[in-house]
Amino acid sequence: MAKKIRVILSKIGLDGHDRGIKMLARMFREAGMEVVYMGLYQTPENVVRAAVQEDADVIGLSILSGEHLTLVPKVTALLKEQKLENEILLLVGGVIPREDVPAVKSHGVHEVFTAGSLVEEIVDYIHQWVNRRAKT
Amino acid sequence: MAETNETVSSSYHEKFNRGKTWSGLELKEFYNPADTAGIDYHRSIGDPGQYPYTRGIHRNMYRGRLWTRREVCGLGSARETNERLKFLLREGAGGPNVIVDVPGELGIDADHPRAAGEVGVTGVSINSLADITVLTEGIPLDKTSFSLIVAAPSAEVMFSQYLVEAQRRGIDFRLLSGSIQNDPIHLRYCGFPPAAPLDVARKTAVDIIEYCTRYVPRWYTTTINLYDLRENGISAAQEIAFGFGIGLIYIDGAIERGLQIDDFIPRLSFYCSAHIDFFEEIAKLRAARRLWAKIMQERYGAKDPRSLQFRFAVHTAGCSLVPQQPLNNAIRIAYEALAAVLGGVQSLHCCSYDEPIALPTEQSHLLAIRTQQVLAYETGVAAVSDPLGGSYYIENLTDKIEEETLKIFKEIEDRGGMLEAINSGWIDQEMEKAALEEQQRIEKRDRLVVGVNVFRMPPEDATPSGVQRIPAQVEQKIIEDVEKLKKERHRPAWQQAIDNLKRHTEKGEKENLIPPVIECIKAGATVGEIMGVIRQAYGHPYDPLEAIQPPY
Repeated sequence: MAKKIRVILSKIGLDGHDRGIKMLARMFREAGMEVVYMGLYQTPENVVRAAVQEDADVIGLSILSGEHLTLVPKVTALLKEQKLENEILLLVGGVIPREDVPAVKSHGVHEVFTAGSLVEEIVDYIHQWVNRRAKT
Repeated sequence: MAETNETVSSSYHEKFNRGKTWSGLELKEFYNPADTAGIDYHRSIGDPGQYPYTRGIHRNMYRGRLWTRREVCGLGSARETNERLKFLLREGAGGPNVIVDVPGELGIDADHPRAAGEVGVTGVSINSLADITVLTEGIPLDKTSFSLIVAAPSAEVMFSQYLVEAQRRGIDFRLLSGSIQNDPIHLRYCGFPPAAPLDVARKTAVDIIEYCTRYVPRWYTTTINLYDLRENGISAAQEIAFGFGIGLIYIDGAIERGLQIDDFIPRLSFYCSAHIDFFEEIAKLRAARRLWAKIMQERYGAKDPRSLQFRFAVHTAGCSLVPQQPLNNAIRIAYEALAAVLGGVQSLHCCSYDEPIALPTEQSHLLAIRTQQVLAYETGVAAVSDPLGGSYYIENLTDKIEEETLKIFKEIEDRGGMLEAINSGWIDQEMEKAALEEQQRIEKRDRLVVGVNVFRMPPEDATPSGVQRIPAQVEQKIIEDVEKLKKERHRPAWQQAIDNLKRHTEKGEKENLIPPVIECIKAGATVGEIMGVIRQAYGHPYDPLEAIQPPY
């Protein structure tokens, strides 16, 4: 049996909108993944530390209050420092203007799923990425 | 081409396949007199302006006064926000409606190490008196109804700053009118639990109610926020039940301070959601109005008609908006605003269509006001009070939502009351369950959302009116101003005011802290510092994020 996909989900910064990410945690578990939801007010350091400790395949960050261009680069820098940028799938979700998506991705985020995304699409994306990583 | 033809032919035979409201109430194909046969018009509906106010709190409704058209505003520093406020007022907004940023709700200052990147982003940054002075510049406080959206315990500080500013301008407190949200308990359901421990939340909320009842009589002391609760995904009936449950905690606290029910209830108001299920929302607002009148009369013995009148603002449902094909949101917002008006709203905020994408631009903000103005001046819907009253369907649905709400009240009671329902995490569980079920319905296409799971299109490259940004220099300037204030103020006077506040906090829960908070503000103390003293008095850390130490 294949190892379960391990996902770290976290809010980051001081944004408190957590309806979406709590819902995702439940739905990812129902899709067969192992999920750690870290809760509110996490720092980039906390998130990356947890991902290392939990040997995570995926980090999902939720940002709805407009801090994505400030906070995301801090996470990607830490992942690069630890040479994990190709080992861990980094996803960002929330309220992200479409015109910011290229900038967010340019820091090393694999994909951005804004509010209004279907969970089945996110789950598919994760499975495909994990499968591709297994082949390389 | 072939695909287009196929779509046309399949939609031609399409049936409406939903037999329930979005909150899950069963619907019949049609309603007739049998569905309202048990209703005594005078006892349970009544004319508009008559108990139990099902049909509205005023007899002539909008002919007496149109609803207040307010648009939430708060961006960057007090300076930027003051400019946008004046723009909105010039364009016909009825009054300023200012929202504070995330550090402000948390009760920390802009120079807090964890605040970087968040200062002035989702609201205005308010730290010291100087910010309120700039925010209100050019706005006559004795001739304006000013709405401050700060729900957290820090409302006690920001309201006091507003009072000091009025004093500075020589304005009598009795002439001040406006409102402050001051609903700190609900804030735990907006991702701010550490900012609003229940004891501090209840205490600061009741302080404002008590102080205003005695000294600022025209101020609306609390806007009980049902809207934010609803945004968690709960049903229409849960919105009323949970919101009222929280509101009654403040009311009981005010009674414990010795206030008479009819002296302070007329100055409470509500903030409701108008979601996308049109008739359900209208019925919800009617049911809430009737229930409030009954609770105030039967449970609290209120006699003043104003105590029995459910006064409310509406915020169209942000969570009904989606980033896909964003202009569609303007349509959703317009229907929701119509529901609010047909439900008898007193004050309305329309979302901006770009809300699920970014902060509103000047252009999207303007469209939100214009949506209200078209409703008010062109459609004629404001001409007659409660135009849907007497509809077999609406009256039946109003009754059903009331019944559903009463069932939830009973369940809360069985769980040991609202404080216990909050503390035990039951309310959180209900919200999480509701949000999950809603998403599952969307995934399974039991619930259709245009652009999300039906009629999808490739994503737009850009937001139609661009994206509002807060330049990094704005945050830098705000932080420098706070640092400068802290360095340059008269330290002994500041220390004395802080010590005085501490002494007052030791006198117990019933000691109103607004007078000593006012002294702190005059001595240059900031929101984070004053809140820190109050938090510590209740055994909580000075800093809700536990990253910094007290400066005293």
